[in-house]
Amino acid sequence: MKNRITYKKSAGNLLDTGITYIILLVVAFIFFFPCLWLILASLSKSGSMYSFDGFFPQSYSLDTFKKLFQDTTMYNYPKWFLNTLFVATGSCILGTFLTILTAYTMSRFQFKARKPMMKATMVLGMFPSFMGMTAVYLLMTQFGLINHLWGLILIYAAGAPMGYLTQKGFFDTIPKAIDEAAKIDGATNFQIFTKINLPLAKPMIVYTALTSFTWPWSDFILPKLLLKEKNLYTVAVGLMSLDETEFARFAAGSVFIALPIVILYFCLVKNMVDSVSAGAVKG
Amino acid sequence: MKSNREKIREFLGNASAPVKLSFLIMGSGHFRYGARGKGLIYLLIEISMIVYLIRRGISDIIGFFTLGTVHADAWAGVEGDNSVVMMLMGIFAWIVVFAFVFLYQQNVRSAYDLQKRVEQGLPVPTLKDDLASLLDRKFYMLVLALPVIGVCIFNVLPIIFMILIAFTNYGGTIVPPELVDWVGFDNFKKLVVLTKFAPTFGKILSWNLLWAVLSTTLNYFAGIGLALLLNKECVRGKAFWRAFPVLAYAIPGFITLLAFKFMFSYGGPINQMIISHGGTAIGFLDLDAKWSARIIGLLVNCWISVPSIMLLATGHLSNRDKSLYEAARIDGAGKFAQFWKLTMPFMIFATTPVLLGQFIGNFNNFGIFYFLRGGLYMDGYFLASDTDLLINWLYNLSIDNNYYCIGAAISLIIFLITSAISLVVYVKSPSYREEDTFQ
Repeated sequence: MKNRITYKKSAGNLLDTGITYIILLVVAFIFFFPCLWLILASLSKSGSMYSFDGFFPQSYSLDTFKKLFQDTTMYNYPKWFLNTLFVATGSCILGTFLTILTAYTMSRFQFKARKPMMKATMVLGMFPSFMGMTAVYLLMTQFGLINHLWGLILIYAAGAPMGYLTQKGFFDTIPKAIDEAAKIDGATNFQIFTKINLPLAKPMIVYTALTSFTWPWSDFILPKLLLKEKNLYTVAVGLMSLDETEFARFAAGSVFIALPIVILYFCLVKNMVDSVSAGAVKG
Repeated sequence: MKSNREKIREFLGNASAPVKLSFLIMGSGHFRYGARGKGLIYLLIEISMIVYLIRRGISDIIGFFTLGTVHADAWAGVEGDNSVVMMLMGIFAWIVVFAFVFLYQQNVRSAYDLQKRVEQGLPVPTLKDDLASLLDRKFYMLVLALPVIGVCIFNVLPIIFMILIAFTNYGGTIVPPELVDWVGFDNFKKLVVLTKFAPTFGKILSWNLLWAVLSTTLNYFAGIGLALLLNKECVRGKAFWRAFPVLAYAIPGFITLLAFKFMFSYGGPINQMIISHGGTAIGFLDLDAKWSARIIGLLVNCWISVPSIMLLATGHLSNRDKSLYEAARIDGAGKFAQFWKLTMPFMIFATTPVLLGQFIGNFNNFGIFYFLRGGLYMDGYFLASDTDLLINWLYNLSIDNNYYCIGAAISLIIFLITSAISLVVYVKSPSYREEDTFQ
């Protein structure tokens, strides 16, 4: 009798595992196929989509990539790339800093303005994102920040704390008992934050950094509005200005700007999924 | 509890002359009771406020009400007033005034506190003590100052500006150098009365709501499902399987959207395959392709947003309290019971803000149909198409066609709808009501 049950159970497990893997394969295919399509298109020899055989080009070469970096008279891709890198890095550092601080404060401190502030950010977040674009444009002209990459960084970083709720949710799930223990040991709030919660929040910091990096990296509305010189374009605006006949160049440019984020993620992936509070509180 | 009037009477009776002088010269109370550093700061604040008011503050506030009186005249060489800039600087001036009033109150209050401390023989906190308390008791103040200022300038100010624009006649032919005027609720009346706007608004709104609900549900459950699937014990090589959604996540949205547009276009690979199998090309995203375009939009949006939800859910899953599961196992709870009684409540608790953010994000998802279909204008719609969301319509109206005031009025209406829905959801959600449930 007992044997039978374990037999049944293991058969069920096998079926379960099998179905899991089939779903995983399908998911992997769905996510990978369009990427593969784009990568192969960037390696096509002819450059036009019309000479493709179904999804894939007929012959391959690296010419498009060479053209992308050498033929800069019309489309200065290397310059766009550096601009994007500068803006994204700047707003990532500033934005992550501000967001984590805001989220932590909102999660751990009880003060009079807290609930009103939470409600206010909720309400502000509900306005359509580029409702204020006209006003932002006017503001930037007043500050003399049109056609400056710094202006973009400022706007992205200043807007970043508005999305603190996700991070607050994370801090909420870190047990408060740790804080209290530290407080009994005589730590100040500043020390509790830097020595205890910050290390524990590593996965969230990585997540925040990633999102505040990818947002400027792929945004097109704001750069389009604020950067009027072709040399100051970010990649998003630049790629949008490409002609439809330049599909291979578009694909090559896209593959190239997706690369840094992919590398970044694979370097940081461990931080994101490591278990956090396991073992931090005993009992 | 004392009433305010009693408090004021008590204050007037007890406060010493230097504290009362703080009403006129900020910081004088602090000087009297030995808090020099703080007194100096308050004095400097007052002086800079006066300088600001004289140099531009007062004229900015007057400009806010008049929105300009001098017409530009190129022949006479008169430069004229720029109403829009005047309004913006006027709002800025109001913010400065309110900030000053707050500091002014603080000045009197803390001077009175000081007096009381001295009378009771308590030590007077020096500037150094105050700075030290910023690192401990008032740590939140120090930390929140910078984000709050940033958000005020780059989020609140523009939004207030656009709200006010909804009550002016800015737009169309009335843009600087023409003078803009306050018109009250005329724009909203126009939206209700004019048949030009009303039918389009109704059609777009109903599709927009449907879209937000469908895409949020789809993305949320697909994302959490994927995270749970990858978190299963039987899955080996988690990093490898996770790499595929991450790859999708890493590709900027506009590239994905443009690529999918190419994929479904007439000359794209899907139509090429249909043709080579003897079919005729299908215009998936064409003018008359209402539902196929909508469904493609839903699926493409899923492709874009599921990885981020999955990553987030993975982070939360790793943050679960493992001891709870152990306890459950000891109590004899099976896998399903653990899932329904522990995992799901925790996930819903932790991700309610995300869910709501997703809903608002999808409700205002500008990129998806902007890139997939471009700015098509259709019959039966005023400057919009049947896949356009309200945000796309807003863009068409205010950025492509200069209908600024109408656009602002519509965005106010959008705001009212979304905020009403989500405030109810949020206030009722467990992560807001019982923040401490999982702590």
